[in-house]
Amino acid sequence: MTGARKTLWDHVFTLLVALIYIFLIAPILLVVLLSFSGGEFLALPMEGVSLRWFEALFSNSRFYEAAVHSFRLALVSALVNGVIGTLAAIYVIRFAPAHLTNPLRVLMSAPLMVPEILTAIALLFFFFEVGVGNRWSMAIQIGHILVTFPYVFLNVASALFNFDRSQEEAARSLGANGWLTFRRVTLPAIKPGVITGCLFAFVISFDIFNISLLLKSVGKNTLPLELFDYLRYNFDPTAAAVATVSIALTFVAVLIVDATVGLRSLRF
Amino acid sequence: MTTLRLDRINKFYGTLHILKDIDLDIAQGEFISLLGPSGCGKTTTLRCIAGFEAVSGGSIAFGGRDMTRAMPEQRDLGMVFQSYALFPHMTVAENLSFGLEVRKIAPADRERRIAQTLEMVRLTGYEKRFPRELSGGQQQRVALARALVIEPAVLLLDEPLANLDASLRDDMRFFIRDLQQRVGITTIYVTHDQGEALVMSDRIVVMNRGVVEQCGSPREIYERPQSLMVADFIGQSNTLTGRVTGREGELYVIATEDGPLRTHGAPGLAGEVRVMVRPENIGTAPGDNTLRGRVVKTTYLGASCLLNIETAAGSRFTTHAPADSPLAPGSEVTMGFAAHKAWAFAA
Repeated sequence: MTGARKTLWDHVFTLLVALIYIFLIAPILLVVLLSFSGGEFLALPMEGVSLRWFEALFSNSRFYEAAVHSFRLALVSALVNGVIGTLAAIYVIRFAPAHLTNPLRVLMSAPLMVPEILTAIALLFFFFEVGVGNRWSMAIQIGHILVTFPYVFLNVASALFNFDRSQEEAARSLGANGWLTFRRVTLPAIKPGVITGCLFAFVISFDIFNISLLLKSVGKNTLPLELFDYLRYNFDPTAAAVATVSIALTFVAVLIVDATVGLRSLRF
Repeated sequence: MTTLRLDRINKFYGTLHILKDIDLDIAQGEFISLLGPSGCGKTTTLRCIAGFEAVSGGSIAFGGRDMTRAMPEQRDLGMVFQSYALFPHMTVAENLSFGLEVRKIAPADRERRIAQTLEMVRLTGYEKRFPRELSGGQQQRVALARALVIEPAVLLLDEPLANLDASLRDDMRFFIRDLQQRVGITTIYVTHDQGEALVMSDRIVVMNRGVVEQCGSPREIYERPQSLMVADFIGQSNTLTGRVTGREGELYVIATEDGPLRTHGAPGLAGEVRVMVRPENIGTAPGDNTLRGRVVKTTYLGASCLLNIETAAGSRFTTHAPADSPLAPGSEVTMGFAAHKAWAFAA
């Protein structure tokens, strides 16, 4: 037998991988676990099991409103970026003059590289300067769109970059015009990039803190802001319940995407 | 009848002159190969015909209609790409259906034509498969079927066999040629493989550095090259430089460093010329032309032996000898070749 004999290094490697996974997943599991705690504090060891903190959460209208606000911001960010991020990627990869491709790519990714707090401060000044201020949640929505833009742009750009353009030429030679070729050949090919990008944009927008803190309208908190406010004065497992519900919601979102467009299309 | 006419096509990329005055008339049902080394402009020529590249000068006409500025989708052609360019998110049947749907063919008609074409490329039963579930050879046949199902006026093939392994490539040569003859479709085939071009074509267009070096039947190209480039690119050749000193009937008498040679050649030769002899036409016995030399190297090829021979004047020849030839490096050898097997062209 010349089968693969496990060396010491193989065992060390397996152990390392296991440790990394534990390091990543343990906090999430811990939070989920604590949300079912029967005790008064967000602490171990758990004092019994109960659903009372979920009850406390759902009877707390502030959390509910914050969650709706966050969901709406995230959904709009994902949808708007799904359109403008995709269009921007198409322009930069396909139509921009060759010497501008790289500068534009960097520029489009700038929101990722500039510290979020600086973007937030700049936008704050800007919106007050132009007279919009923090009315109508316009500032916070645009802030979210801006910060999550690169996720769609970069995903679509890389999908476009790896796309074999002779497929488009094949479609043209078969008699399809430019628009039909885009709709039936190019778009399906970059769809995984668009969906992945939108999913990222949604999750990041749902999670983002600094931008929301500076640009929010008076009295309208996002879920992370509400959670932070809550934790400043309380330290009970309601916070863990909020986290558990968010995790469950994200999970549901992924399942819905899988059921409708299919995660199999999201292979890289 | 001319299906496709290229009239003094020129193409520039910036200041690079890629195609220089390409003229070509292609008759209905003809199989034409564009053959040449990479960078010779053969693919660019094909892409100009397809409409993927705009020509900088000259005109392209399909069946007498000027199509120089027409969009690719208006040109009525089918194209097979080196990468096949199958639509990965569509099944085999959907790939074939695409061109028919775009042409607004009725569903019942579509199905019939898809079934017919798949049968033609021996892929019946593969309708529901996705391209990634097929082997390279099968994908290639799907690409061929997708181009043929729309029954285009001209079929364009861009190095379609380059990504296949050697044995499959040999089979596919005959398969494509056979299919082309059955369908009777005018075909332009781009390749850098001279073997493919010789086996498949009615006519070969040898290109080099953006110009047409020679255009003719495989036999003409192989036996009567008009330039050193063509002689060297197609098959193996031995060439000698010389000077025309006279004529003996059909034949030229040409003075070379290795003595006078009798050859046939392009009409009207005078002055400096080159003489070409293919290795398989040189024997190890005296002939119309006889040269003496010394074996420099022998290479065993299985079916035969390749001999490298140097003459007293320093000219090098390669020739074939039987596999059991006793000739070893260093031995003296007499070479002979018939006058009508040697060919002279302008130097």
